[in-house]
Amino acid sequence: MQIKAHNITKQFTEKYILREFSFEINPGDKVNIAGPSGIGKTTLFKLLLGFEMPDSGHIEVNGKTLVGEQIWAVRQQVAYVSQDLNIGLGTVNQLFTETLSYKHNQHLKSSAQAHIALLLQQFELPLNTLDKNITELSGGEKQRVAIVNALLLQRKVFFLDEISSALDAALKENVLDYFLGNSEFTVLYISHDSYRPSNIAIKTLTLSNHD
Amino acid sequence: MTEAIDLSLFSMFMCALLLLIPIAATSYLKLGITRSLLISSVRMMVQLVLIGFFLEYLFLYNNIFLNISWFIIMLLAAVVSVLNNSGLKLKFFVKPIFGALFISNLLVVLYFNYFIARLDFVFDARYLIAIGGMILGNTLRSNIVGLGDFYKSVMRDEQLYYYKLSLGANTTEALLPFAKRSFKAAINPTIATMATMGIVSLPGMMTGQILGGSVPLVAIKYQIAIMVAILASTVLSISLSILFSVPSAMHANGTLRKELFK
Repeated sequence: MQIKAHNITKQFTEKYILREFSFEINPGDKVNIAGPSGIGKTTLFKLLLGFEMPDSGHIEVNGKTLVGEQIWAVRQQVAYVSQDLNIGLGTVNQLFTETLSYKHNQHLKSSAQAHIALLLQQFELPLNTLDKNITELSGGEKQRVAIVNALLLQRKVFFLDEISSALDAALKENVLDYFLGNSEFTVLYISHDSYRPSNIAIKTLTLSNHD
Repeated sequence: MTEAIDLSLFSMFMCALLLLIPIAATSYLKLGITRSLLISSVRMMVQLVLIGFFLEYLFLYNNIFLNISWFIIMLLAAVVSVLNNSGLKLKFFVKPIFGALFISNLLVVLYFNYFIARLDFVFDARYLIAIGGMILGNTLRSNIVGLGDFYKSVMRDEQLYYYKLSLGANTTEALLPFAKRSFKAAINPTIATMATMGIVSLPGMMTGQILGGSVPLVAIKYQIAIMVAILASTVLSISLSILFSVPSAMHANGTLRKELFK
């Protein structure tokens, strides 16, 4: 997926979040979105997913401006893991079942069972996590469940918002290596961790103050 | 069995005296609602007196167009009441909620009149207006709860809703869990009422019929029928309300319009 932002400006009641901001992301890129808290890093993801619209400027995805149908197409190509750990109610298994029940994801159903088992193992979650209630999980477990939920979609583009903040050092490395080490993945990620896998080229997109 | 005793002017005066209790209590406790209590009481009296005269004529003429027109006016009042009480703006919701209440209530009341009451004239004023009014009044509360709860919960859990959209859900799929929960919240009170009916309370309609000279067993049969009709209409109307209102409540990108709320 190729993403180009042309001079996007986004303002929330007097405060500029982004001002005349431009960047380009190419397939396979690993991009760390950096900047102090509250600068609008999450807003950038929301703009890219069409949950917020820029006040001026525009975003192009694969050469098409991000409006109308194109927004829905992007949401079907990007796997987004939100910083917000409110990922739903019920058991973990019900969460995965709901994700796979969406019309667009139904073709993944048949292979999902084996896939889930592998992913749980990858992120060091025991198999019985499936039967646990989401509300009973710790922050770190929820983060990993959300990661598995995103990976179930078998997409190649990831927007990851602080997905390792509640994990211990070893798991942090595991998670970041998994995403950043895959050359097929295009990854935009927000993280305050200093850990960076070696041998992987990571671009940095820095958001700074405008006031 | 005799017909209900007419209440004389003296009786009505004595009834008004009873109002002194809530008036005294609210003003003593300085709840600041004495004024609205008085206004509501006066409104109720005036409205009911007017409607009393109006219904005399409505029942006398028993004209299909007149009856349906009145039914529609009742519906419009219901729509305004639902929206005022659920904190949603009239502008976006009048049409879908009117459509939802119209279809669900008319369908159920006509079913009631034709298959249950076995009327030859299903638009008979006494049944269309009285039974229709009862059904409408009861579905109203559920709709206020259901519709308000639905939009507020989507607003409150906006992140969760976005999350579902980002997973590839379309609007319907992403809203379904919210709709289910609000649906449950809306019909739960009706289910609870049914479970205690007859023990905790004698329903108003039964009381009316018994005072009007019906034997309790007849009154009970009507009460059962009306409760089932209310439940059916509630389920229908809350589903249709959500279904019909969603398209005008959403932007093309699937986000909720913030201007829906008052």
